[in-house]
Amino acid sequence: MTYEEFADTRLAPLLRYAVMLTGDPHQAQDLVQETMVRVQLNWRRVARADSPERYVRRMLTNQYVDWRRGSWVRRVLLRGEPDASVPVPTDHAQSAVDRDQIWSWLSRLPRRQRAALVLRYYEDLPDVEIADILGCAVGTVRSSISRALATLRAEYVEA
Amino acid sequence: MIEDDLRAAFVRHEPLTPSTGPLRAAIDRLAAVRRRRRQRFQAAGVTLALLGALGVGVPQLRPDRPAEGPSLSGRPAGAQSGALNVLLLGVDGFGEEPSYRLADSVLLVHIPADRSRPYLISLPRDLEVSIPGRGTGKLNSAFYSGEPRPDLDAGYDLTRRVVADLTGVRVDAGAVLTFAGLRRITDAVDGVEVCLPTEVRSWHTRRTFPAGCQRLDGAASVDLLRQRRYLPDGAFDRDRNAQRYVAALIRRAVAQDVLTNPVRLTALLSAGGKGLAVDDDGLPLTRLVAVLPELKSVDPVGLSLPVGPPVDNASRLPLDPKLGPAFLAALSEDRLAQWVAQHPEQVNPTR
Repeated sequence: MTYEEFADTRLAPLLRYAVMLTGDPHQAQDLVQETMVRVQLNWRRVARADSPERYVRRMLTNQYVDWRRGSWVRRVLLRGEPDASVPVPTDHAQSAVDRDQIWSWLSRLPRRQRAALVLRYYEDLPDVEIADILGCAVGTVRSSISRALATLRAEYVEA
Repeated sequence: MIEDDLRAAFVRHEPLTPSTGPLRAAIDRLAAVRRRRRQRFQAAGVTLALLGALGVGVPQLRPDRPAEGPSLSGRPAGAQSGALNVLLLGVDGFGEEPSYRLADSVLLVHIPADRSRPYLISLPRDLEVSIPGRGTGKLNSAFYSGEPRPDLDAGYDLTRRVVADLTGVRVDAGAVLTFAGLRRITDAVDGVEVCLPTEVRSWHTRRTFPAGCQRLDGAASVDLLRQRRYLPDGAFDRDRNAQRYVAALIRRAVAQDVLTNPVRLTALLSAGGKGLAVDDDGLPLTRLVAVLPELKSVDPVGLSLPVGPPVDNASRLPLDPKLGPAFLAALSEDRLAQWVAQHPEQVNPTR
Protein backbone atom coordinates (compact mmCIF):
# COMPACT_ATOMS: atom_id res chain seq x y z
CA MET A 1 0.00 0.00 0.00
CA THR A 2 1.27 3.50 -0.74
CA TYR A 3 0.79 6.54 1.42
CA GLU A 4 -1.64 7.94 -1.16
CA GLU A 5 -3.78 4.82 -1.11
CA PHE A 6 -3.82 4.88 2.65
CA ALA A 7 -4.82 8.52 2.76
CA ASP A 8 -7.50 8.00 0.10
CA THR A 9 -9.37 5.51 2.21
CA ARG A 10 -8.35 6.21 5.80
CA LEU A 11 -8.12 9.97 6.14
CA ALA A 12 -11.86 10.52 6.51
CA PRO A 13 -12.40 7.84 9.18
CA LEU A 14 -9.35 9.12 11.09
CA LEU A 15 -10.69 12.63 10.98
CA ARG A 16 -14.06 11.46 12.30
CA TYR A 17 -12.26 9.58 15.04
CA ALA A 18 -10.30 12.73 15.92
CA VAL A 19 -13.52 14.73 16.09
CA MET A 20 -14.88 12.25 18.61
CA LEU A 21 -11.67 12.45 20.62
CA THR A 22 -11.32 16.20 20.70
CA GLY A 23 -14.94 17.24 20.32
CA ASP A 24 -13.80 20.08 18.09
CA PRO A 25 -13.38 20.11 14.30
CA HIS A 26 -10.37 22.44 14.30
CA GLN A 27 -8.49 20.56 16.95
CA ALA A 28 -9.35 17.37 15.11
CA GLN A 29 -7.81 18.79 11.94
CA ASP A 30 -4.66 19.80 13.78
CA LEU A 31 -4.38 16.42 15.43
CA VAL A 32 -4.84 14.52 12.18
CA GLN A 33 -2.55 16.86 10.31
CA GLU A 34 0.29 16.45 12.77
CA THR A 35 -0.14 12.69 12.84
CA MET A 36 -0.41 12.27 9.10
CA VAL A 37 2.66 14.41 8.43
CA ARG A 38 4.61 11.99 10.56
CA VAL A 39 2.92 9.07 8.85
CA GLN A 40 3.97 10.41 5.48
CA LEU A 41 7.55 11.06 6.54
CA ASN A 42 7.82 7.59 8.04
CA TRP A 43 5.66 5.76 5.59
CA ARG A 44 7.98 2.79 5.11
CA ARG A 45 7.86 1.95 8.79
CA VAL A 46 4.11 2.47 8.99
CA ALA A 47 3.54 0.23 5.98
CA ARG A 48 5.60 -2.53 7.57
CA ALA A 49 3.23 -2.74 10.55
CA ASP A 50 0.80 -5.68 10.65
CA SER A 51 -2.04 -3.26 10.42
CA PRO A 52 -0.98 0.19 9.22
CA GLU A 53 -4.37 1.51 10.13
CA ARG A 54 -4.12 0.42 13.73
CA TYR A 55 -0.55 1.70 13.88
CA VAL A 56 -1.68 5.13 12.74
CA ARG A 57 -4.64 5.10 15.07
CA ARG A 58 -2.24 4.38 17.89
CA MET A 59 -0.01 7.28 16.81
CA LEU A 60 -2.97 9.60 16.68
CA THR A 61 -4.30 8.44 20.03
CA ASN A 62 -0.91 8.86 21.69
CA GLN A 63 -0.63 12.29 20.20
CA TYR A 64 -4.01 13.19 21.62
CA VAL A 65 -3.29 11.75 25.06
CA ASP A 66 0.12 13.47 25.17
CA TRP A 67 -1.43 16.74 24.13
CA ARG A 68 -0.74 18.75 27.20
CA ARG A 69 2.71 17.30 27.65
CA GLY A 70 3.80 19.47 24.89
CA SER A 71 3.97 18.60 21.39
CA TRP A 72 1.47 18.94 18.74
CA VAL A 73 -0.60 22.00 19.35
CA ARG A 74 2.42 24.23 19.27
CA ARG A 75 4.00 22.59 16.27
CA VAL A 76 1.19 22.93 13.81
CA LEU A 77 2.30 25.42 11.22
CA LEU A 78 -0.18 25.14 8.43
CA ARG A 79 -3.77 24.37 8.80
CA GLY A 80 -6.12 23.51 5.98
CA GLU A 81 -7.99 26.47 4.59
CA PRO A 82 -10.71 27.35 7.06
CA ASP A 83 -13.72 25.42 6.03
CA ALA A 84 -16.70 27.74 6.14
CA SER A 85 -19.11 24.94 5.52
CA VAL A 86 -18.40 22.99 8.70
CA PRO A 87 -21.84 21.84 9.66
CA VAL A 88 -22.96 22.48 13.17
CA PRO A 89 -25.34 19.99 14.73
CA THR A 90 -28.76 21.48 14.20
CA ASP A 91 -31.07 19.91 16.68
CA HIS A 92 -33.82 22.28 17.59
CA ALA A 93 -35.67 20.70 20.43
CA GLN A 94 -34.70 21.39 24.01
CA SER A 95 -34.47 17.63 24.45
CA ALA A 96 -31.61 17.58 22.00
CA VAL A 97 -29.79 20.22 24.03
CA ASP A 98 -30.26 18.07 27.09
CA ARG A 99 -28.96 15.05 25.30
CA ASP A 100 -25.91 16.98 24.16
CA GLN A 101 -24.95 17.58 27.71
CA ILE A 102 -23.33 14.20 27.49
CA TRP A 103 -21.03 15.68 24.80
CA SER A 104 -19.88 18.46 27.10
CA TRP A 105 -19.43 16.06 30.01
CA LEU A 106 -17.17 13.99 27.78
CA SER A 107 -14.81 16.92 27.50
CA ARG A 108 -14.21 16.85 31.23
CA LEU A 109 -13.00 13.26 31.27
CA PRO A 110 -9.29 12.48 31.35
CA ARG A 111 -8.12 11.98 27.78
CA ARG A 112 -7.29 8.32 28.10
CA GLN A 113 -10.76 7.62 29.44
CA ARG A 114 -12.38 9.55 26.65
CA ALA A 115 -10.25 7.72 24.09
CA ALA A 116 -11.32 4.38 25.57
CA LEU A 117 -14.98 5.39 25.36
CA VAL A 118 -14.65 6.52 21.74
CA LEU A 119 -12.86 3.33 20.77
CA ARG A 120 -15.50 1.14 22.35
CA TYR A 121 -18.73 3.04 21.71
CA TYR A 122 -17.92 4.82 18.48
CA GLU A 123 -15.37 2.60 16.76
CA ASP A 124 -16.88 -0.57 18.28
CA LEU A 125 -13.49 -2.15 18.80
CA PRO A 126 -12.99 -5.16 21.08
CA ASP A 127 -11.20 -4.45 24.35
CA VAL A 128 -8.09 -6.30 23.20
CA GLU A 129 -7.64 -3.91 20.32
CA ILE A 130 -8.39 -0.90 22.50
CA ALA A 131 -5.69 -2.08 24.87
CA ASP A 132 -3.28 -2.35 21.96
CA ILE A 133 -4.06 1.15 20.77
CA LEU A 134 -3.80 2.67 24.22
CA GLY A 135 -0.73 0.60 25.01
CA CYS A 136 -2.07 -0.83 28.24
CA ALA A 137 -3.52 -4.05 29.63
CA VAL A 138 -7.07 -5.17 28.82
CA GLY A 139 -7.97 -4.88 32.50
CA THR A 140 -6.83 -1.26 32.48
CA VAL A 141 -9.09 -0.57 29.50
CA ARG A 142 -12.08 -2.05 31.30
CA SER A 143 -11.43 -0.21 34.51
CA SER A 144 -10.95 3.13 32.80
CA ILE A 145 -14.14 2.66 30.80
CA SER A 146 -16.12 1.79 33.90
CA ARG A 147 -14.63 4.74 35.72
CA ALA A 148 -15.58 7.02 32.84
CA LEU A 149 -19.12 5.64 32.77
CA ALA A 150 -19.42 6.12 36.50
CA THR A 151 -18.39 9.75 36.14
CA LEU A 152 -20.96 10.29 33.40
CA ARG A 153 -23.67 8.58 35.44
CA ALA A 154 -22.91 10.83 38.37
CA GLU A 155 -23.35 13.85 36.08
CA TYR A 156 -26.72 12.47 35.01
CA VAL A 157 -27.87 12.26 38.57
CA GLU A 158 -26.77 15.81 39.30
CA ALA A 159 -28.31 17.23 36.15
CA MET B 1 -28.76 3.44 29.30
CA ILE B 2 -25.75 5.66 29.29
CA GLU B 3 -23.94 3.47 26.77
CA ASP B 4 -26.73 4.01 24.23
CA ASP B 5 -26.73 7.74 24.90
CA LEU B 6 -23.02 7.76 24.29
CA ARG B 7 -23.30 5.92 20.99
CA ALA B 8 -26.05 8.28 19.92
CA ALA B 9 -24.05 11.34 20.92
CA PHE B 10 -21.06 10.21 18.89
CA VAL B 11 -23.14 9.52 15.80
CA ARG B 12 -24.99 12.82 16.18
CA HIS B 13 -21.70 14.71 16.10
CA GLU B 14 -20.34 13.00 13.01
CA PRO B 15 -21.45 15.96 10.86
CA LEU B 16 -18.91 18.09 12.72
CA THR B 17 -16.22 16.31 10.73
CA PRO B 18 -14.68 18.74 8.24
CA SER B 19 -13.95 17.75 4.67
CA THR B 20 -10.62 16.06 4.03
CA GLY B 21 -9.54 17.89 0.86
CA PRO B 22 -7.89 20.98 2.37
CA LEU B 23 -6.50 18.91 5.20
CA ARG B 24 -4.83 16.51 2.83
CA ALA B 25 -3.21 19.37 0.94
CA ALA B 26 -1.99 20.90 4.20
CA ILE B 27 -0.48 17.57 5.26
CA ASP B 28 1.40 17.28 1.98
CA ARG B 29 2.71 20.84 2.25
CA LEU B 30 3.87 20.46 5.81
CA ALA B 31 5.46 17.07 5.14
CA ALA B 32 7.42 18.57 2.25
CA VAL B 33 8.66 21.40 4.46
CA ARG B 34 9.76 19.01 7.17
CA ARG B 35 11.41 16.66 4.73
CA ARG B 36 13.48 19.51 3.34
CA ARG B 37 14.35 20.76 6.76
CA ARG B 38 15.44 17.31 7.87
CA GLN B 39 17.68 16.77 4.86
CA ARG B 40 19.21 20.15 5.22
CA PHE B 41 19.81 19.57 8.88
CA GLN B 42 21.51 16.25 8.33
CA ALA B 43 23.74 17.69 5.66
CA ALA B 44 24.64 20.53 7.94
CA GLY B 45 25.26 18.01 10.70
CA VAL B 46 27.86 16.06 8.79
CA THR B 47 29.56 19.19 7.59
CA LEU B 48 29.59 20.83 10.96
CA ALA B 49 30.84 17.75 12.69
CA LEU B 50 33.75 17.68 10.34
CA LEU B 51 34.35 21.39 10.76
CA GLY B 52 34.10 21.07 14.50
CA ALA B 53 36.50 18.18 14.50
CA LEU B 54 38.88 20.14 12.32
CA GLY B 55 38.73 23.02 14.70
CA VAL B 56 37.17 25.32 12.19
CA GLY B 57 34.95 27.90 13.79
CA VAL B 58 31.49 28.16 12.39
CA PRO B 59 29.53 31.29 13.07
CA GLN B 60 26.13 29.72 13.40
CA LEU B 61 24.20 26.60 12.81
CA ARG B 62 21.89 27.67 10.05
CA PRO B 63 22.98 30.25 7.52
CA ASP B 64 19.88 32.35 7.72
CA ARG B 65 21.71 35.50 6.76
CA PRO B 66 23.73 35.47 3.56
CA ALA B 67 27.48 35.21 3.98
CA GLU B 68 29.55 37.96 2.46
CA GLY B 69 30.92 35.89 -0.34
CA PRO B 70 33.11 32.82 -0.18
CA SER B 71 35.71 33.19 2.46
CA LEU B 72 38.19 30.44 1.77
CA SER B 73 40.99 32.79 0.91
CA GLY B 74 42.21 35.68 2.96
CA ARG B 75 40.59 37.05 6.07
CA PRO B 76 36.86 36.67 5.86
CA ALA B 77 34.58 39.49 6.72
CA GLY B 78 33.15 39.21 10.18
CA ALA B 79 35.84 36.86 11.40
CA GLN B 80 35.20 35.31 14.75
CA SER B 81 37.27 36.49 17.62
CA GLY B 82 37.03 35.20 21.14
CA ALA B 83 36.50 31.64 22.17
CA LEU B 84 34.31 29.30 20.14
CA ASN B 85 32.26 26.39 21.34
CA VAL B 86 30.93 23.78 18.96
CA LEU B 87 28.52 21.18 20.26
CA LEU B 88 28.75 17.72 18.70
CA LEU B 89 26.04 15.20 19.50
CA GLY B 90 26.52 11.57 18.64
CA VAL B 91 23.08 9.99 18.60
CA ASP B 92 22.10 6.34 18.52
CA GLY B 93 19.46 4.67 16.39
CA PHE B 94 20.00 2.66 13.24
CA GLY B 95 18.50 3.08 9.82
CA GLU B 96 16.75 6.06 8.38
CA GLU B 97 13.84 5.87 10.76
CA PRO B 98 14.71 4.61 14.21
CA SER B 99 11.91 4.73 16.72
CA TYR B 100 13.83 6.95 19.12
CA ARG B 101 17.18 8.59 19.51
CA LEU B 102 19.26 9.57 22.51
CA ALA B 103 22.42 11.64 22.46
CA ASP B 104 24.91 9.22 23.97
CA SER B 105 27.99 11.20 23.07
CA VAL B 106 27.91 14.85 23.96
CA LEU B 107 31.13 16.58 23.05
CA LEU B 108 31.84 20.27 23.35
CA VAL B 109 34.72 21.41 21.15
CA HIS B 110 36.21 24.49 22.77
CA ILE B 111 38.54 26.70 20.77
CA PRO B 112 40.14 29.29 23.02
CA ALA B 113 40.49 32.92 21.96
CA ASP B 114 44.25 32.56 21.70
CA ARG B 115 43.67 29.71 19.21
CA SER B 116 46.34 27.68 21.01
CA ARG B 117 44.70 24.28 20.56
CA PRO B 118 41.26 22.66 20.57
CA TYR B 119 39.78 21.18 23.72
CA LEU B 120 37.42 18.23 23.49
CA ILE B 121 35.13 18.21 26.50
CA SER B 122 32.93 15.17 27.03
CA LEU B 123 29.75 15.76 28.97
CA PRO B 124 28.69 12.41 30.48
CA ARG B 125 25.41 11.21 29.07
CA ASP B 126 24.24 10.19 32.56
CA LEU B 127 24.79 13.67 33.93
CA GLU B 128 21.79 14.91 35.88
CA VAL B 129 20.58 18.11 34.27
CA SER B 130 17.47 20.21 34.33
CA ILE B 131 15.66 19.96 31.03
CA PRO B 132 13.36 22.87 30.23
CA GLY B 133 9.76 21.71 30.47
CA ARG B 134 10.65 18.26 31.75
CA GLY B 135 12.19 18.69 35.18
CA THR B 136 15.43 16.86 35.82
CA GLY B 137 16.73 14.01 33.72
CA LYS B 138 19.80 12.55 32.18
CA LEU B 139 21.64 14.63 29.64
CA ASN B 140 21.18 12.09 26.86
CA SER B 141 17.40 12.18 27.30
CA ALA B 142 17.18 15.86 26.34
CA PHE B 143 17.54 14.68 22.77
CA TYR B 144 14.47 12.47 23.00
CA SER B 145 11.63 14.05 21.12
CA GLY B 146 8.93 11.46 21.45
CA GLU B 147 7.53 8.62 19.40
CA PRO B 148 7.36 7.71 16.67
CA ARG B 149 9.67 9.98 14.74
CA PRO B 150 12.80 11.33 16.35
CA ASP B 151 13.17 14.94 15.42
CA LEU B 152 16.88 15.76 15.10
CA ASP B 153 16.08 19.43 15.02
CA ALA B 154 14.05 19.47 18.21
CA GLY B 155 16.48 17.09 19.91
CA TYR B 156 19.42 19.30 19.07
CA ASP B 157 17.69 22.51 20.09
CA LEU B 158 16.74 21.22 23.51
CA THR B 159 20.12 19.59 24.18
CA ARG B 160 21.85 22.78 23.15
CA ARG B 161 19.78 24.76 25.63
CA VAL B 162 20.55 22.28 28.37
CA VAL B 163 24.29 22.43 27.63
CA ALA B 164 24.28 26.22 27.46
CA ASP B 165 22.44 26.42 30.80
CA LEU B 166 24.75 23.88 32.35
CA THR B 167 28.06 25.27 31.19
CA GLY B 168 27.21 28.94 30.95
CA VAL B 169 28.98 29.20 27.60
CA ARG B 170 27.52 30.32 24.32
CA VAL B 171 27.20 27.45 21.88
CA ASP B 172 28.33 28.98 18.58
CA ALA B 173 27.54 26.05 16.37
CA GLY B 174 26.67 22.44 16.59
CA ALA B 175 25.96 19.27 14.78
CA VAL B 176 24.17 16.02 15.21
CA LEU B 177 26.00 12.96 14.07
CA THR B 178 24.09 9.78 13.40
CA PHE B 179 25.81 6.45 12.91
CA ALA B 180 25.42 6.89 9.16
CA GLY B 181 26.96 10.37 9.28
CA LEU B 182 29.89 9.13 11.30
CA ARG B 183 30.49 6.35 8.81
CA ARG B 184 30.37 8.75 5.88
CA ILE B 185 32.76 11.24 7.39
CA THR B 186 35.26 8.53 8.25
CA ASP B 187 35.13 7.06 4.80
CA ALA B 188 35.46 10.52 3.28
CA VAL B 189 38.93 10.80 4.82
CA ASP B 190 39.76 7.17 3.91
CA GLY B 191 39.58 6.00 7.49
CA VAL B 192 41.25 7.22 10.65
CA GLU B 193 44.00 5.82 12.83
CA VAL B 194 42.72 5.44 16.36
CA CYS B 195 45.02 4.55 19.24
CA LEU B 196 43.51 2.54 22.07
CA PRO B 197 45.20 1.98 25.44
CA THR B 198 43.54 -1.42 25.90
CA GLU B 199 41.75 -3.98 23.78
CA VAL B 200 38.05 -3.33 23.09
CA ARG B 201 35.69 -6.16 22.29
CA SER B 202 32.50 -5.31 20.44
CA TRP B 203 29.21 -6.16 22.11
CA HIS B 204 27.39 -5.71 18.83
CA THR B 205 29.67 -7.42 16.30
CA ARG B 206 32.52 -9.90 16.37
CA ARG B 207 35.11 -7.19 16.03
CA THR B 208 37.92 -6.92 18.51
CA PHE B 209 39.91 -3.74 18.51
CA PRO B 210 43.43 -4.52 19.75
CA ALA B 211 45.35 -2.19 22.04
CA GLY B 212 47.52 0.23 20.10
CA CYS B 213 47.02 2.21 16.92
CA GLN B 214 44.88 0.91 14.10
CA ARG B 215 43.25 2.16 10.95
CA LEU B 216 39.45 2.13 11.12
CA ASP B 217 37.05 2.58 8.27
CA GLY B 218 33.58 4.08 8.69
CA ALA B 219 31.81 0.92 9.79
CA ALA B 220 34.53 0.00 12.28
CA SER B 221 34.51 3.52 13.72
CA VAL B 222 30.78 3.33 14.31
CA ASP B 223 31.22 -0.03 15.98
CA LEU B 224 33.99 1.24 18.26
CA LEU B 225 32.09 4.35 19.30
CA ARG B 226 29.04 2.30 20.25
CA GLN B 227 30.98 0.15 22.72
CA ARG B 228 30.26 0.63 26.39
CA ARG B 229 29.35 -2.71 27.96
CA TYR B 230 32.67 -4.51 27.92
CA LEU B 231 34.61 -1.42 28.90
CA PRO B 232 35.74 -1.23 32.53
CA ASP B 233 34.59 2.35 32.93
CA GLY B 234 31.48 2.01 30.76
CA ALA B 235 30.17 5.19 29.23
CA PHE B 236 33.21 7.16 30.42
CA ASP B 237 35.49 4.90 28.44
CA ARG B 238 33.22 5.30 25.48
CA ASP B 239 33.49 9.08 25.79
CA ARG B 240 37.27 8.73 25.86
CA ASN B 241 37.17 6.63 22.73
CA ALA B 242 35.03 9.28 21.06
CA GLN B 243 37.72 11.82 21.88
CA ARG B 244 40.39 9.49 20.51
CA TYR B 245 38.35 9.16 17.35
CA VAL B 246 37.95 12.92 16.93
CA ALA B 247 41.66 13.44 17.62
CA ALA B 248 42.43 10.82 14.98
CA LEU B 249 40.06 12.50 12.53
CA ILE B 250 41.89 15.78 13.05
CA ARG B 251 45.28 14.10 12.56
CA ARG B 252 43.98 12.52 9.40
CA ALA B 253 42.74 15.84 8.09
CA VAL B 254 46.12 17.41 8.83
CA ALA B 255 47.95 14.54 7.13
CA GLN B 256 45.81 15.03 4.06
CA ASP B 257 46.73 18.69 4.10
CA VAL B 258 43.14 19.66 4.57
CA LEU B 259 43.62 22.50 6.99
CA THR B 260 46.09 24.43 4.91
CA ASN B 261 44.63 23.70 1.51
CA PRO B 262 41.29 25.42 0.96
CA VAL B 263 40.58 23.48 -2.20
CA ARG B 264 41.13 20.19 -0.43
CA LEU B 265 38.96 21.30 2.48
CA THR B 266 36.08 22.21 0.23
CA ALA B 267 36.40 18.93 -1.63
CA LEU B 268 36.40 16.97 1.58
CA LEU B 269 33.45 18.86 2.96
CA SER B 270 31.37 18.19 -0.09
CA ALA B 271 32.31 14.52 0.12
CA GLY B 272 31.10 14.47 3.70
CA GLY B 273 27.88 16.17 2.82
CA LYS B 274 27.12 14.32 -0.39
CA GLY B 275 24.36 11.78 -0.32
CA LEU B 276 22.63 13.74 2.37
CA ALA B 277 22.21 17.07 0.69
CA VAL B 278 19.95 15.78 -2.03
CA ASP B 279 17.81 18.83 -1.80
CA ASP B 280 18.36 21.69 -4.20
CA ASP B 281 18.24 24.22 -1.45
CA GLY B 282 20.80 22.20 0.45
CA LEU B 283 23.38 23.98 2.48
CA PRO B 284 26.05 25.90 0.57
CA LEU B 285 29.06 24.48 2.32
CA THR B 286 31.38 27.31 1.59
CA ARG B 287 29.18 29.62 3.60
CA LEU B 288 29.91 27.64 6.69
CA VAL B 289 33.61 28.10 6.40
CA ALA B 290 33.65 31.64 7.64
CA VAL B 291 36.76 31.28 9.71
CA LEU B 292 39.87 29.28 9.13
CA PRO B 293 41.51 28.92 12.46
CA GLU B 294 44.98 30.05 13.21
CA LEU B 295 45.39 27.15 15.52
CA LYS B 296 48.89 26.93 16.82
CA SER B 297 48.44 23.22 17.44
CA VAL B 298 45.76 20.84 16.26
CA ASP B 299 46.62 18.34 18.97
CA PRO B 300 43.45 18.38 21.05
CA VAL B 301 43.24 18.15 24.82
CA GLY B 302 40.70 15.53 25.90
CA LEU B 303 38.73 16.40 29.04
CA SER B 304 35.57 15.27 30.76
CA LEU B 305 33.25 17.36 32.85
CA PRO B 306 34.10 16.21 36.38
CA VAL B 307 31.18 14.34 37.94
CA GLY B 308 30.53 12.75 41.30
CA PRO B 309 29.19 9.26 42.11
CA PRO B 310 25.57 8.40 41.20
CA VAL B 311 22.96 10.12 43.37
CA ASP B 312 20.38 7.37 43.38
CA ASN B 313 19.49 4.04 41.84
CA ALA B 314 18.70 5.77 38.60
CA SER B 315 22.47 6.12 38.07
CA ARG B 316 22.21 9.81 37.44
CA LEU B 317 25.50 11.56 37.95
CA PRO B 318 25.78 14.93 39.67
CA LEU B 319 28.42 17.51 38.89
CA ASP B 320 31.51 16.92 41.03
CA PRO B 321 30.87 19.32 43.91
CA LYS B 322 34.48 20.47 44.10
CA LEU B 323 36.04 20.10 40.66
CA GLY B 324 32.88 20.70 38.64
CA PRO B 325 32.22 24.38 39.35
CA ALA B 326 35.92 25.23 39.04
CA PHE B 327 36.07 23.49 35.68
CA LEU B 328 32.97 25.25 34.38
CA ALA B 329 34.30 28.60 35.56
CA ALA B 330 37.57 27.93 33.72
CA LEU B 331 35.64 27.01 30.60
CA SER B 332 33.40 30.04 30.56
CA GLU B 333 36.29 32.37 31.38
CA ASP B 334 38.38 30.76 28.64
CA ARG B 335 41.26 29.68 30.85
CA LEU B 336 41.21 25.93 30.40
CA ALA B 337 44.98 25.85 29.76
CA GLN B 338 45.53 27.07 33.29
CA TRP B 339 43.01 24.56 34.67
CA VAL B 340 44.65 21.71 32.80
CA ALA B 341 48.05 22.72 34.16
CA GLN B 342 46.61 22.49 37.67
CA HIS B 343 44.79 19.19 37.02
CA PRO B 344 46.98 17.17 34.66
CA GLU B 345 45.37 13.95 35.90
CA GLN B 346 42.08 15.02 34.31
CA VAL B 347 43.48 14.91 30.80
CA ASN B 348 42.54 11.94 28.67
CA PRO B 349 45.46 10.95 26.42
CA THR B 350 44.13 10.86 22.89
CA ARG B 351 46.99 9.04 21.23
